Amino acid sequence: MTDMSIEDYLAKGGKLTSPGNVPARYRGELLRLMASFIDSELAGAAGFAETINDAPGIRNRIAAAKITQEKLDHAGRVLAVMGEFGADTARYDNRHDWAARMGRDADLKAARHGDDMRLSVFHYPVQGYVDAVVLNVLMGLATGVQMQEFARVSYAPLADTFREIAPREARHVDLGLTGLRQIVESDEGRAKAVQSVQYWLPRVEASFGQSASKRYETQARFGLRHTENDAMRKDWAGRVREALAPLGLG
Amino acid sequence: MARFLPLQVTDIRRDTRDAVVVTLTPRPEDAGAFDFTQGQYLTFRRSFDGEELRRSYSICAGRDDGALRVGIKRVDGGAFSTWANEELAPGMELEAMPPMGRFHTALDGGSAKHYIAVAAGSGITPILSIIKTTLKREPKSRFTLVYANRSVNSIMFREELEDLKNLYLGRFSVIHVLKSEGQEIDLFTGRIDAEKMQALFDNWIDPASIDTAFICGPEGLMLTVADSLRKAGLDDAQIRFELFASSQPGRAKKKAVSRDATHAGDATEAVVTLDGATRTFRMPKQGENLLDAALAADIDAPYACKAGVCSTCRAKVLEGEAEMAINHALEDYEVAQGYVLTCQCYPLTDRIVVSYDE
Repeated sequence: MTDMSIEDYLAKGGKLTSPGNVPARYRGELLRLMASFIDSELAGAAGFAETINDAPGIRNRIAAAKITQEKLDHAGRVLAVMGEFGADTARYDNRHDWAARMGRDADLKAARHGDDMRLSVFHYPVQGYVDAVVLNVLMGLATGVQMQEFARVSYAPLADTFREIAPREARHVDLGLTGLRQIVESDEGRAKAVQSVQYWLPRVEASFGQSASKRYETQARFGLRHTENDAMRKDWAGRVREALAPLGLG
Repeated sequence: MARFLPLQVTDIRRDTRDAVVVTLTPRPEDAGAFDFTQGQYLTFRRSFDGEELRRSYSICAGRDDGALRVGIKRVDGGAFSTWANEELAPGMELEAMPPMGRFHTALDGGSAKHYIAVAAGSGITPILSIIKTTLKREPKSRFTLVYANRSVNSIMFREELEDLKNLYLGRFSVIHVLKSEGQEIDLFTGRIDAEKMQALFDNWIDPASIDTAFICGPEGLMLTVADSLRKAGLDDAQIRFELFASSQPGRAKKKAVSRDATHAGDATEAVVTLDGATRTFRMPKQGENLLDAALAADIDAPYACKAGVCSTCRAKVLEGEAEMAINHALEDYEVAQGYVLTCQCYPLTDRIVVSYDE
């Protein structure tokens, strides 16, 4: 076999398999990508935890508890991969308040804020059960698109981890849609759901990042990304229409 | 944090002219930590001329072998592998981290699967561990190994593979592909490329029968084989990789410390390289860390936690000196080589040269 640089190998679709064979810049971008997922799951779970008490009935409370528990578990699984690069996994999740939120009317766009890498959508506060269910469905559908993208990531141990996580994240959307179907049965619930959809739709949409992002180019060169932000956003919008139309919320 | 534990060398066996198989025994209290999964590797550390080197070698033993064994092939100019091949002896102690790596699939005694593995050279080491463990623990599964080498003499574990063929008659087959020696059938000579993979699929291995494929070798082999497997209908989840990078970094260079650097001024000239582009800006020595200063200078440096925990913002100081306020992520040897967490990094010298590319 002829020798090949790691950069050429990655450009041709090669996979890396251990911290020992990743180049420095690749390492930085890979860890950043993992941190963004972990922080979003931790912040998402912290926000969703309150829903457990707000949910009507034991079944819905169990569903909310299950979603919260599994999002924490998914954060832990990706953090374990990060730990192989030297990250201090014991200290990581203790470093700040994941439940902290900004104002409901804050204008955050796609940018990161504060001292963590959570997607901007997880900085907005959830207001009650219906609001949480709507966010869970819209963001869950976005996670589905993201999982499809991340299963192709060039760091094989991470791609494997995302493939394990994906079916359970998909199940969170199903649980959310079940809850939403119950909510829209009443006029009051439907009105609340419509309001929440209007609130969350642009905020989840912004979480796909900027069009023609420079970061994307760097990530694509390393095989960490394959689909542009706009294409992922479009894919998500289609899934949202498909999910909401039967409920009369589309 | 990674921790190194002592392992005693209890046996060394020469396998080929330039490869040894090393049997290691942990202390009784560490036995649990070294309870490995097939296909994992050990990372060793050793100091050469006062400089710490770390190298990873795959475990070649099966889970039911009752021993911890790694194969170490000598690489040209490789300090660790040369030392292991020439000077390592029974009774000596090595330091290693507990097994790591995810080059495996879950086994189930009831399944009847067909696995294939494609390995080149020392890429056989983790594959051997997988083959032994799988055939033992899944009595109804079968395994086909395609194994590329330069010549008969350079085939690692040749006898062991023959023994396995006899032990698991009808469940294990080996196809040797030799670069420089003609064999009876043309297919088995030369190197593994797209045509050879196609010929294998046409004549020897029905791709539709494959449940999981393992590939271990250098970059070119990984690309070729993965591409052929995908074209033959396997999806990404069925293909497992372990890259044995051909361009192993040599000895780490010591950081250059500028002797005439004075510590007088309050400001620093920072020279920062990212993605091959270098920018120079001035920053105060106190009150602002290097990462924030670089971000303020419109350098899109990688970072995540900003708390010295995650190591995303790691960079190397090439010239000048700096100190870190908090470090929960870098180990002593990385710090000795000049690596810093830029989110915790404050310059001490009037000029500092830092690279995110190294």
